[in-house]
Amino acid sequence: MLKRDQWLDLARKLDWDFTYVDAREVYPEEISGRPWLPHSEWKDWDEPYRTSFAEYVATQHTKELSVQAVRQAVGRVEDFQALDPSWVNGLKLHAATLPLAEFAAVIGNLRAARFARDSAWRTTAAFGALDELRHTQIPLLLMHDLVRWSPQFDWTHRFLHTDNWVAIAGRHLVDELLLGSNPIEFAIATNFVFETGFTNLQFVGLSSLARGAGDRMFEKMVQSIQTDEARHSQIGPAVLRKVVEKDPEYAQYLLDKWFWRTWLFFAVVTGFSMDYLTPLKHRTQSFKEFMEEWVLDQFQKTIVEFGLRKPWYWDKFLEALDLYHHMVYASAYTYRASVWFDFALPGPEERAWLRQKYPKTWDLLDPVWGRVTDRWKKCGPGVEWYTHGATPVTFCDLCQLVLCGGSPMENTAQTLVHGGKKYIFCSDPCRWIFEKEPDRYASHEDVVKRILAGKAPANLIDLLTRTFSLTPDTWGKDVASGRYAWLKEPSSAPVSR
Amino acid sequence: MLIPLYGFLRGDTIGLIVLAQDTDTIREIGAKLQEAASIRVAPAPSVDVRHRGRLLDPERTVGECGLEALERVDVAPRAS
Repeated sequence: MLKRDQWLDLARKLDWDFTYVDAREVYPEEISGRPWLPHSEWKDWDEPYRTSFAEYVATQHTKELSVQAVRQAVGRVEDFQALDPSWVNGLKLHAATLPLAEFAAVIGNLRAARFARDSAWRTTAAFGALDELRHTQIPLLLMHDLVRWSPQFDWTHRFLHTDNWVAIAGRHLVDELLLGSNPIEFAIATNFVFETGFTNLQFVGLSSLARGAGDRMFEKMVQSIQTDEARHSQIGPAVLRKVVEKDPEYAQYLLDKWFWRTWLFFAVVTGFSMDYLTPLKHRTQSFKEFMEEWVLDQFQKTIVEFGLRKPWYWDKFLEALDLYHHMVYASAYTYRASVWFDFALPGPEERAWLRQKYPKTWDLLDPVWGRVTDRWKKCGPGVEWYTHGATPVTFCDLCQLVLCGGSPMENTAQTLVHGGKKYIFCSDPCRWIFEKEPDRYASHEDVVKRILAGKAPANLIDLLTRTFSLTPDTWGKDVASGRYAWLKEPSSAPVSR
Repeated sequence: MLIPLYGFLRGDTIGLIVLAQDTDTIREIGAKLQEAASIRVAPAPSVDVRHRGRLLDPERTVGECGLEALERVDVAPRAS
């Protein structure tokens, strides 16, 4: 009887030379990606997991049983009602941004399962597609039970079908990253930069946080997803190695572009959760510390191993680690009705913790929270509008997120005239990405442009209900409606200097 | 004529749209942005408004200053 390694390649690595058609017709560059190379250049493509279909099914079945067991044990509404309300809202944020983005990744993987240039790569991508389908279904299943408790959980399914501003930004990212990219760009952007660089490790950190917060269901869910990510993310390095060998500048471009694009969205989702929505007593490290420990060190080592350089904007990125998610959170708190989850107002203890974790920049940010706190004190609990903005905010014409780059002292927004039209970007890297491929991005209208063109209402309530798909039941509020014991204290001075 | 501007107030965390009229004075533009951001930033008694680094005369109008739709203006408390 043949041993596993003797037959395995017959199941996962079976390429042949085409005689009736040219290989370029089977794998056109437009769909398969560049650099287009003869198959002889890809024939040694491999990844370390080398999974067979039977092994895949058996492993996934075990994982499913494990998720089901935890769901039965701690997946009831009462289990979630016992959690801290701030944490639950971090869950709503993650739950909404996860499933349909994962579903877009099914498409990207399936394109690779057909058009990637080596059969082992195509086989692994087929497993990746099955993985991502599972990652779509798990949160949809688990959060569905919670909709009867809070209609905001309905956004687990609803989110990417709406024109909510976060969904517009999310779609702008995943449509390009997952739906539209060819297998080479997908492998480098999704498998290498996003999964190897960010989410694979993020899931480890999130799972640990969830355990601390007592959320066994979320802990198990992200653990289960992470084990899949660890496997299919291995497509990335195996493709990147060849692209670096044949076209190093293109590899560098893809790295630079996708690190920035994915960082911004990652910072919003994970930064919010780690530094604001996880209850203070359960925080083990700040978002910045997490990035430094889990992402930066590993990422820098890896790109050096591949002979690549740090992205050209690395210094700006390091500055943004101290600021960007704080700028967005403070802004979003004061426009919280524009999203589908509630926000925690950082109190004196939280602000002291943030000052300790962000000593270089917190002095610039803390006055904003002092001002918001003073206004809560003036109006009293329950009066949401007194700490809520009514003027339209601004959006980046590349990432579609709000213009929160830089610091309160100097916003890094950049303007550009292209083809007779005016554009604005949150940062130099977003402008650079736009200018590299303007035809790809120029026709997309951000929320402000939609309002000015009469395609979306300028009135805030109309915008929230008609364009952002929210209702008074689902739009975001302060998680405690301003009922914090510390709000009764009479000071507005910066805390814990 | 309506001239929407991208307004950035020093001390704030986000840019806002200032819906200006071409007849509004620069002083009024500064006041509008301060009012819109007042949830996050306490208004200053007087501010400077800059466009592409150039300090604008508070008594001149948006139209006189040549500001066009979707241009960036920066507003900062006036140094005493």
